[in-house]
Amino acid sequence: MIWQLDLSILTLIVICAFATIMVKDLLSAAIIFGAYSFLMCLLWTEMGAVDVAFTEASVGAGVSTVLFFAAVHQTTRRVRTRKSGRMLAKVFALMAALLTGLVLIIAETDFPGFASPFTPASLHLSPYYITQSLHDTNVPNIVTSVLADYRGFDTMFETAVIFTAGLAVIAILRRYKRDDRCDLPEPYVISEGYPDTIIRFIARQLAPFIQLFALYVVAHGHHSPGGGFQGGVILGASFILLAISYDSRMIIGIMSERLNILLGNIGVLIYAGIGFLCLLLGANFLDYSVLSKVLPATDKIMARSHGMLGIEIGVAIAVMAIVISIYLNIISHGKYDKG
Amino acid sequence: MSFVKQAPVLLVIIPLLSALLVNILGLVNRRYCLPVAILGILGSFAASVVTLIRVIENGAISYRLGGWPPPFGIEYVIDHLNGLVLVTVSFVSLLAVIFSKESVKQEVPEKIPQFYTLFILLVTGLLGMTVTGDAFNLYVLLEISALTGYALIAMGDNRALVASFNYVILGTIGASFYLLGVGHLYIMTGSLNMADLLTILPGLYSLNAVFIALLLILVGIWIKMAFFPLHGWLPNAYTYAPSAAGCLVAPLVTKVSVYIMIRIMLSVFSPLYVYSIIGLSETIVWMSVIAIISGSILALAQTDFKKMLTYLIVAEVGYMVGGAWLASAAGLTGAILHIVNDALMTLCLFLFAGIVIYKKGGHQLQDLAGLYKKMPVTMAAFTVGALSMIGVPPTAGFFSKWYLILGAIDAGKYHFMAALLVSSLINAILFFKVIEIAYFEPKVDHHGGETEKVIIDEAPLTMLVPLIIVALSLIVIGLYSGDIITNIIQHSVPAGLL
Amino acid sequence: MQSIISSYNYWIYILLMMIGLYAMLAKNNLVKKVIGMSIFQTAIIVFYVSTGAKEHATIPIIAHGHGAVEAAVDVAHYANPLPHVLMLTAIVVSVGTLGVALAICLGIHRRYNSLEEDEIQEQL
Repeated sequence: MIWQLDLSILTLIVICAFATIMVKDLLSAAIIFGAYSFLMCLLWTEMGAVDVAFTEASVGAGVSTVLFFAAVHQTTRRVRTRKSGRMLAKVFALMAALLTGLVLIIAETDFPGFASPFTPASLHLSPYYITQSLHDTNVPNIVTSVLADYRGFDTMFETAVIFTAGLAVIAILRRYKRDDRCDLPEPYVISEGYPDTIIRFIARQLAPFIQLFALYVVAHGHHSPGGGFQGGVILGASFILLAISYDSRMIIGIMSERLNILLGNIGVLIYAGIGFLCLLLGANFLDYSVLSKVLPATDKIMARSHGMLGIEIGVAIAVMAIVISIYLNIISHGKYDKG
Repeated sequence: MSFVKQAPVLLVIIPLLSALLVNILGLVNRRYCLPVAILGILGSFAASVVTLIRVIENGAISYRLGGWPPPFGIEYVIDHLNGLVLVTVSFVSLLAVIFSKESVKQEVPEKIPQFYTLFILLVTGLLGMTVTGDAFNLYVLLEISALTGYALIAMGDNRALVASFNYVILGTIGASFYLLGVGHLYIMTGSLNMADLLTILPGLYSLNAVFIALLLILVGIWIKMAFFPLHGWLPNAYTYAPSAAGCLVAPLVTKVSVYIMIRIMLSVFSPLYVYSIIGLSETIVWMSVIAIISGSILALAQTDFKKMLTYLIVAEVGYMVGGAWLASAAGLTGAILHIVNDALMTLCLFLFAGIVIYKKGGHQLQDLAGLYKKMPVTMAAFTVGALSMIGVPPTAGFFSKWYLILGAIDAGKYHFMAALLVSSLINAILFFKVIEIAYFEPKVDHHGGETEKVIIDEAPLTMLVPLIIVALSLIVIGLYSGDIITNIIQHSVPAGLL
Repeated sequence: MQSIISSYNYWIYILLMMIGLYAMLAKNNLVKKVIGMSIFQTAIIVFYVSTGAKEHATIPIIAHGHGAVEAAVDVAHYANPLPHVLMLTAIVVSVGTLGVALAICLGIHRRYNSLEEDEIQEQL
């Protein structure tokens, strides 16, 4: 924890935030937002939150930026610059923002000092997790054990949130007929017929390595930063990379829409299913220790560790499928063909 | 595994699993979607009823998820208050899902599997929010119900997308404020478990940060429940949503938010803190007076039937917020009873609106003309709902309003009582106007002759039966409201109140 | 100086929050509103992660070796893992919201051929 570094990163973050809001071109805004996310990721590494940083790097700086690109690509880069109207909205927004700021500043004066080891937050619950995690679950990465076991129920619904988001995007955008409710011409002529051999070659060579790394991230989440979410997003990203450098059709050839939906379902189902299995074996929901009855040669503690691995795999499958599905729907404007 | 012992978690897990199943089966054949959806919600309804009975017999239940002891793991806590809300939520969604059969076929024919999956996930989210005893777990489920809500509303007609976008922006502000409030509690106490917070917080009551935490949580939930003046997103979103989605979203989302407000007030902070120490009661009761009056007046100004109902929701939210902040036992009882009653009344009216849309294709007031002759049963059920909304005995609406007025008198807040009476009067004018259009105004036919025989043309049974059931239940709850109060609600009102 | 160091993280999160809230309410362009929403959500993540930071502490992964005798774990040695867990969830939720919001933007653009709020309002 070096406060000079902390402060300079934070300053850059604020500059990026201003720039994203002010810039008139949406594509630039998306790029600056990517930089913003990446700075966030540095900030969190610096504060010791490596798992958060990893997730931010893959989700915030990676997928979010790609989604912004896809959306801007499908609509327009232009932000209209006419300086009229909206004064009322601006004044109101400014008032709301200032009021919120003021209230939060007042609350801030009561906070215990930043980074002090004697705050209630570091004295009440966290010592238990830090001292007991290895003993209870045999998982040295405390974030993984809290995420997948102590608070595993949150994480199950977190997976369900992603699944919901994927379905929601399908429900909103997907068009099954060619001209369903749409009289407008295609907004963009997609720059087809510009195959860049170098990019394609590199992307194709890179993809298997990215996928291998993703599997490592999933499998090694117990011992190092990473886990189902990060691994799943990276797996999804490897497909998106191919979709960008080649054509979405190629990816749809490998991962059809049905397969995507099915995989998303199966992922969540693995998670909920493991929880349900615990119920059937007579323990509470998601109490993995009871899995030692069915897993050979495992005691209760190792059963927890294995249970967590199982749900991480489920999470990875679901996240991968949904990330691909959201991207393909947005880039093809719901028609699921080209882009 | 015993069903009774595991019921607290099963009531959330059964719908979750059935949502996944619906989606998978939807890839095979769309006809399987509805039966699985109904079964899932039925299972959850059974589990809620079992849990409520257990609570009435033995007192509050705590369920440890993952087997971890409470402040470290996540805990489900079911007491009289949320047991009642759970049964209401699952009952309303059961009726709404049965109703949806025909209207989904008509309005979103291409996306039936997605619709039902999102529909059940919304129910899962609402039930999960109600049952949890962990402040952060509540946020995750809040987001599930929010995301499904955005998508279900966006599936409606052309203007629904813009309405849904506004809902996304405001809904996210609301959820983020809630999260930030929980963060403030976390930084001050180090805990996320509600019961744990209740024991730690009294030592910190004098600090501004704790007060601001409550303020942030309240504003966040108020946005979610569309408490005036934070209601901007609601009327358009609920008006243009597909009618099957409206029947689920409109009765439940605002009511569950009201429940959460009461839960935070009583089980995270204490009655002592919210009613005495911070002295916000007076302000918030005045705010709800404004909400009730302006909601009713705006409703009066509408020519669109469905939009009129949405403004009535805004007014009803004012009833419940005001009742909860009256700081009197009768007021709180009324507010809790009104959560149940209002969910059923809103369901009744939205089911009716759904039937009108199905039959007539529109939701203007003029579309109702002449309906008494064509659909006598539907209109009879609607009349019960309308009477309950006005507050005519023996319908359920009368009793909760009665307790709210008693509470206002106990607390000496006569302006709140006046607002309730004015709003009842406006409701009466409003619904008699509707009934007049539907009853007396003859339908303009191309012949214009009165001799023409009116053919009775009721909606299909899957739409009619839920409407009849909900209308009957309004009367039944009205008749048994005394029992509900003595057996259930009384136990959730803290003893210290007047 | 000491007081600045002990609270600048919180000041910055408040600043980011204000920027995000302003953009969500004041901007006319829908994608800009969505960007504001993302900044708003990350601001809260900054807040939570800051509550978990601890001086002289390392990342919350316990140093271990296979077969080594388990030494007692020193609490002061590791950062508070709970906020990290909560924020993993929050990041995932925010990307889900982002996807849905962008999908709605695309749907709106398809129907009204515009991303400017006032132009859309005129067409309604």
